[in-house]
Amino acid sequence: MDIFAPFVAPAAAQQLVRLHVRQFEMSADPVSLRIGETLRLKIVARVDENLLELDEVTLPDLSGFESLGDERQCATAYRGSRCTETITLTPTVAGDRTIAGATLEAIDASSGRAVRFSSNSVVVHVAGAPLPNYFWQGLLEGLIRPFAILLLVAALGYAALWGWRRRPKPVVAEPPASSAPPPVPVQAAPAAPPALHGLVETLVRAPSRANLLAVRAELRRRIGARDEETLADLRARGATRGDADLDAALRATEFAAFADDARLDGAITRALEPLQRLVSPPAGAMT
Amino acid sequence: MADTIVGQRGVLESLVQALIAGGHIVLEGPPGLAKTLACRALATAVGGSFKRVQFTPDLLPSDIVGTRIFDQRSGEFTTVLGPIFANVVLADEINRAPAKVQSALLEAMQERQVTIGPQTFPLPEPFVVTATMNPLDSEGTYALPLAQMDRFLVKVLVDYPGPEEEVRILNRFGGATPALPENVVSVADVLAWRDQAYAVHLEPRLARYAVDLVAATRAPHDYVERGASPRATLAIAALARARALLDGRDFALPDDVRAAAPDALRHRLAFNYRLLTDRVDPERIVADLIAGVPTP
Repeated sequence: MDIFAPFVAPAAAQQLVRLHVRQFEMSADPVSLRIGETLRLKIVARVDENLLELDEVTLPDLSGFESLGDERQCATAYRGSRCTETITLTPTVAGDRTIAGATLEAIDASSGRAVRFSSNSVVVHVAGAPLPNYFWQGLLEGLIRPFAILLLVAALGYAALWGWRRRPKPVVAEPPASSAPPPVPVQAAPAAPPALHGLVETLVRAPSRANLLAVRAELRRRIGARDEETLADLRARGATRGDADLDAALRATEFAAFADDARLDGAITRALEPLQRLVSPPAGAMT
Repeated sequence: MADTIVGQRGVLESLVQALIAGGHIVLEGPPGLAKTLACRALATAVGGSFKRVQFTPDLLPSDIVGTRIFDQRSGEFTTVLGPIFANVVLADEINRAPAKVQSALLEAMQERQVTIGPQTFPLPEPFVVTATMNPLDSEGTYALPLAQMDRFLVKVLVDYPGPEEEVRILNRFGGATPALPENVVSVADVLAWRDQAYAVHLEPRLARYAVDLVAATRAPHDYVERGASPRATLAIAALARARALLDGRDFALPDDVRAAAPDALRHRLAFNYRLLTDRVDPERIVADLIAGVPTP
């Protein structure tokens, strides 16, 4: 949002509304289309005041587009309103079109001055109109049919060459196969990433809530937990994939992370048991 | 209670959580879904006094809180206490009474005392109002204003049972009406649980999460006209503590806070007319608002 101030003559400024403008943006969807298709140009203004309508928005120059409709609405909430104006457009000219920003003229309630708020501009790529049917028919007859004939000739030639190369060859005796079994690739036991291992070691050395939270964050990262997912969500969607140690570690870490300070040490001790099982390699595995 | 009510596990859990959290409960659902039975089962399970008031359009405030009558023999006014003086009060079909009766009840719910004439009478402890509402028959009803709905700690939605549950309902209630559980816990037990619930630890990050959940309802929204009050934050915290206690923990988890949010928020939001014209389910809005807040 850009602000150009002052701009309005004092007499005109008296007719403006006082607003705390928090957001004034413009977007287009889609930004790439053909002539004849439609796009929705959306202008959003979020203000601190409760408004039923916002008439002070000046639309940008929309030459090169034909307007098919315009819809305005304001959603009010406890603190503020979100006013949107959605214009349905169809381009009439091909090429990259830059739609300049919309403007909103108001008294800036924080400074008491008449200002003009300007939204961002958007660039729309307009391709030519869809090709008519007779064009495709001409293309088929003029280009695709000769190409298909050429392809058929090439396929016949390749088949003939393949048959010549697979003609019978003289038999050559091969050496006897070795009786020794083929070497078995040595596979290292799956080990926890060093990050978790190191974090658990740090937690063992210094059992604190901060270190515990770091372990919890790493565990959540490993199983791909989203920000809004709780422990119940993760278990419900089987994020641990049946890994009992990981599941136990996740649960114990979660419980410890929200335990009271007085019980934190005990909770960390309980969490360390499954955590250490998780990060230590299985017995007999090559490390 | 689960021995009496078939299915509706979530409803029963919400009832018990609200009882422990020390709040009032409103149940909303179509007729015939055991809303009243659930409230009665809760009341009889808690070994305290229980009163039921059927809300009707001709009900008067004095029918709820009580009144003063003139005793001709003694020549003095005496006070007759109303049905609100009970540990568990069932306000059946609360939206069928006019606003002044609702106000009398809801004032008592908030203040936990009733003033009749010159005297003020404290209500017994625990004091829980369980109200039922039917969302389908809107004719002849008086919708509760938002400020009054805010007094209820939770609003629990009661939905239709599944086919298997309905078969079990048929088996259980096809013959003689089964007895309700009586005196499963005492009033003293409930008060002790409340003390334990107050002591459940709520991490500062969880408190912040509860605040963020409520704040999400106040952001400008296409369908929400007005968000929830700070009372909703208190309700979420109290319910989360109760849930943790029922799960045998002395600390709450993000799961407890989020599970408490729908019951604490759904009746505290004011939706605009677009919700009706666009035929949007308000439960979907509440769920989306909650899902959009990152957990701690």
